[in-house]
Amino acid sequence: MTIHTPIETRGSGIPAWVIGLTVFVLLVGGVYLASNLAGENPAFAIPGASAPAPEGSGGADPAVGEQLIGSVTPACTACHGADLSGGGNFPSLHGVNDGPVSENLQQLATDHPDDWIHLWIDGTTPETEGIDRGGMPAFGEQLSPDQIDSIVAYLKSL
Amino acid sequence: MTVNPRVNPKKLRPYDEPPKRRRTLIPDGPDTAAGGFFIVAALWLALATALGALAIGLRVITFEIKAPIGIFDLAFELNERRVEYAFVNATVYGWLSNVGFAAIAFITPRLTGHRLAMEKMLLLALLAWNGALALGMVLLYFLDLNPHSALTAFPWFVDGGLATGALIVAGSFVLTAASSLRTGYVSLWFIGVAILSLLGLMSLNAGLGIFEQFLNLDELPTALASAFFEVALPAMWLLGMAFAILYYVVPRTANQPLASGAAALLAWLTWLVFAPASALAALVDPSVPFIVTTLGGTATILLVVPALLTVGNLAATMSGRWTLLFGIGVAAFAAVSLVFLMGTSLLEAIGALRAVDARVSGTDWEDGLFIWTMYGTFTLAAFALAEHAMPRILRRAWGGGLLSGAQLWLAFGGATIGGLALMGGGLAQAALIAGGATPDALSAELLIYRAIAFAGFGLVALSGIAMLVNMFLMYTTAEPAQYVAPVGSASAPAAASH
Repeated sequence: MTIHTPIETRGSGIPAWVIGLTVFVLLVGGVYLASNLAGENPAFAIPGASAPAPEGSGGADPAVGEQLIGSVTPACTACHGADLSGGGNFPSLHGVNDGPVSENLQQLATDHPDDWIHLWIDGTTPETEGIDRGGMPAFGEQLSPDQIDSIVAYLKSL
Repeated sequence: MTVNPRVNPKKLRPYDEPPKRRRTLIPDGPDTAAGGFFIVAALWLALATALGALAIGLRVITFEIKAPIGIFDLAFELNERRVEYAFVNATVYGWLSNVGFAAIAFITPRLTGHRLAMEKMLLLALLAWNGALALGMVLLYFLDLNPHSALTAFPWFVDGGLATGALIVAGSFVLTAASSLRTGYVSLWFIGVAILSLLGLMSLNAGLGIFEQFLNLDELPTALASAFFEVALPAMWLLGMAFAILYYVVPRTANQPLASGAAALLAWLTWLVFAPASALAALVDPSVPFIVTTLGGTATILLVVPALLTVGNLAATMSGRWTLLFGIGVAAFAAVSLVFLMGTSLLEAIGALRAVDARVSGTDWEDGLFIWTMYGTFTLAAFALAEHAMPRILRRAWGGGLLSGAQLWLAFGGATIGGLALMGGGLAQAALIAGGATPDALSAELLIYRAIAFAGFGLVALSGIAMLVNMFLMYTTAEPAQYVAPVGSASAPAAASH
């Protein structure tokens, strides 16, 4: 036999403190909601997968590239510095129009003078196979070719 | 059995012989399922805490193992991410979910007055859930990981096994409690929504896995569904069961009626509305309207309401029995759980603010909050229920001893230290990333935080071992005891009540 032992309740009305607390927190939530009605969500980061291109990034758009530089994982700024001027073993990304400063990229730039930056950022194509990446991720795993072009356009504008 | 030497047993007539105990192949006594789930949960706790300590340790000293096993190009891979996934799954699906099932099997009959429906089938649920989980845990080290979230990392057939287990438990609960729900105590309402949410979410996850496997779904919708699932499951299933347990054990241990039924109902209603809505905050993508994620963030903030109402209501219920808090027992476990519940609700609310979320998202902060929530709030609530229920299930006079004290203080200290260290590390990490620190510099700066977190989580691992030993000694050494129903709930001694 199962023993039935109900739990009683002392009061049936709503205590004043309950009403006060609930109304206060609801007001806080309402203020937050009202002050965050407009805006745009950033792109969802899918590790190890191709992210969809953000709206308006049909071609190489430096503005989209600037946004992507801070939102890819890891962010370019995490290694190359907040202003992309480099630091430690990580080279500056200013002046990429003049060619690579790193020794390991000279041959790539010679073989592919027009798109060596794209190939290097992508990192998943046969052209960059065997080149020491020095810890740099292959962003081709999470960015579309258009997105990489946008980043290249932004870097060339620096 | 004592034998009288003057009586020849061979001359006893059949009706003089003591009745033989008949044992069935599948045990079906009352509380069999609850006891089974508790024991399995304790084993998962020991494994989960060991994995947690290893996962944090791998952030301090990084190493990877990859060894081909020579079959189907499979390789055994051990690295930080795989151990972290195993830790999260062992915690959520292994330890806390099994305690949730045990709570359903223990609380429901006592509040409804009906024997649990399909109690034998619950043992099948135990097998289905834990068998699938064990398989999934092994596969985590061999298969390609689902990249979206730890809780959706298993292949679809493992999710199917888990959904089957959830279906049986949900069926048993509905059949037992359906007739009593309308007038039932608030714990039953929490359990009802929690178990049906678990069933729905696990079915959705298994279904998505099947579609992904055979129909090649787009990456983004699947990733967003995973992100939604990862927030919704703890908010609906684990938080719901924590509320159900706390509303059950506190009046029982205080031996007093619940202070306010209306406040408890309001807590249930606000949790019912805000918990599922809070998962919308995870759908961060330009394809999702901004207002949807804002509503999710607002709901996360408003989840403070049920937490506040519960803490206030249960504190008022304890009124006049404060001395219970200073002992080692159910009340102390529940009180610490309530403190963590309040703390994590406030921290989740702060973390939901867009400005804060943008800084701490993806940092160690999230792991610290995970430890506070899982090993502070939920684990202490689970310990409270185990301390109350296990002596009743095993029919032993036991409780409040040295090992219970070890469980309480090790879990409390370990979760506090481990969680705080990781949350502090997360804030430092956010500041360093904003300053453009390199990955090497980040690792060096975070080392001290992670080392402290490792030590802290080691204490939680010890509390898991203490729980196992406590249960073992309770079964093997404690005196048998009968737990009878009180004539009046306010007059009977707590130790003798159900």
